[in-house]
Amino acid sequence: MKPRKIKEDVYWVGAIDWDRRLFDELIPLPDGTSYNAYLVKGDEKTALIDTVDPTMADVLIDNLKQLGVKNIDYVVANHAEQDHSGALPQVLRQYPDAKVVVTAKCKNLLMNMLLIHQNRIMTVEDGESLSLGGKTLEFIHAPWVHWPETMFAYLREDGILFTCDLFGSHFATSDLYVTDEAAVYEAAKRYYAEIMMPFRKVIERNLEKIKDLQINMVAPSHGPLYDKPEFILEAYRDWIYAPPKNIVVLPYVSMHGSTKKMVEYFVGALVERGLTVKQFNLAKTDIGKLAIALVDAATIVVGSPTVLAGPHPNVVYAVYLANALRPKLKFASIIGSYGWGGRMVEQITGMLSNLKVELLEPVVIKGFPKEESFRALDRLADQILNKHKEQKLIK
Amino acid sequence: MTKWRCTVCGYIYNPDEGDPESGVKPGTPFEELTDDWICPICGATKDQFERVE
Repeated sequence: MKPRKIKEDVYWVGAIDWDRRLFDELIPLPDGTSYNAYLVKGDEKTALIDTVDPTMADVLIDNLKQLGVKNIDYVVANHAEQDHSGALPQVLRQYPDAKVVVTAKCKNLLMNMLLIHQNRIMTVEDGESLSLGGKTLEFIHAPWVHWPETMFAYLREDGILFTCDLFGSHFATSDLYVTDEAAVYEAAKRYYAEIMMPFRKVIERNLEKIKDLQINMVAPSHGPLYDKPEFILEAYRDWIYAPPKNIVVLPYVSMHGSTKKMVEYFVGALVERGLTVKQFNLAKTDIGKLAIALVDAATIVVGSPTVLAGPHPNVVYAVYLANALRPKLKFASIIGSYGWGGRMVEQITGMLSNLKVELLEPVVIKGFPKEESFRALDRLADQILNKHKEQKLIK
Repeated sequence: MTKWRCTVCGYIYNPDEGDPESGVKPGTPFEELTDDWICPICGATKDQFERVE
């Protein structure tokens, strides 16, 4: 790719990683990703906003060369994580006069994680600004989106808010701006679910902090830019503030078919009662799809067989993630089966401590489901329906 | 002074130590932390802490 002009003297100089399929050795990237870096040239000073993943440092350096950048005064590091700050060492070698502009917490992280010398780093307070001559960067401390050191940079004259990971999407595209809203919505929601959802309450505060800014454009560090900022702001408001929806998420594993039979019957019973169900076979699913479903769901019902006296390890993995992601869930239950005994229910409920959910009576049966098992599932479906009605999730 | 535990990650806020990295001086009781103070380990908000008896 080549540098892309955004506004007069403002350029995208990042890298598109079309082929990456896994992040943090954990998160699937079905659409690849990008690492967005931006160059802002003032009359007197030049600033680079964020860098790129260290594997693509040469792409960034080449973009800067193509633009004829001889000197960089400031490198704003909104976030210390390696996919944005990992190319700092190369950039600082290439541009020996450049200072890294960060929050105090970010300074500490960059010195420890990327071994950047403290003499190359200057810290800025919340609300502080930096004049480049005709272009002014204002810094807004925005902690915990999604690390403690994060901040935004706001280019006042052009009304561009550089939000780093907040509002981002893992979405490789040659389009500078969002063109396919449906595709970007799914990618941005996946990103929110996996990265931002645990910090929902803190994001509320950060949204409050930026609400009076004149934002003409949101420029995140992953995925296309938002030249219509309301698209992503509205989506975030829905994901964060709106009550959960009339949805039951049903992640499950079945080893020999008993739990599967229960899941099939139970999904039918829920649908018959007017609930939306999202079913995921944990042996096969993209875990990101499960995370997306958790953004809006009111209820989670976990389906598990019993293996070595506890839940199936894939169920443990999914429940651990659901608990760590801290979605808006209100209710939880467990269905499944065992051969001769075990502590599957206790182990699963013990892993849900972060979720402020009401636990509904589990249906865990011995062996293959029988008539009374199906009646118990009917009763659980009735109970979920009533709870959703009480919460006014059903009109 | 009373210590408080984060219900998400288990971090203990010890008033004798404060949270200097977030600008909270040693000797600051939990009750005097501002409402926007956040667990320094996991990002939980202040209302997710419980008193350690």
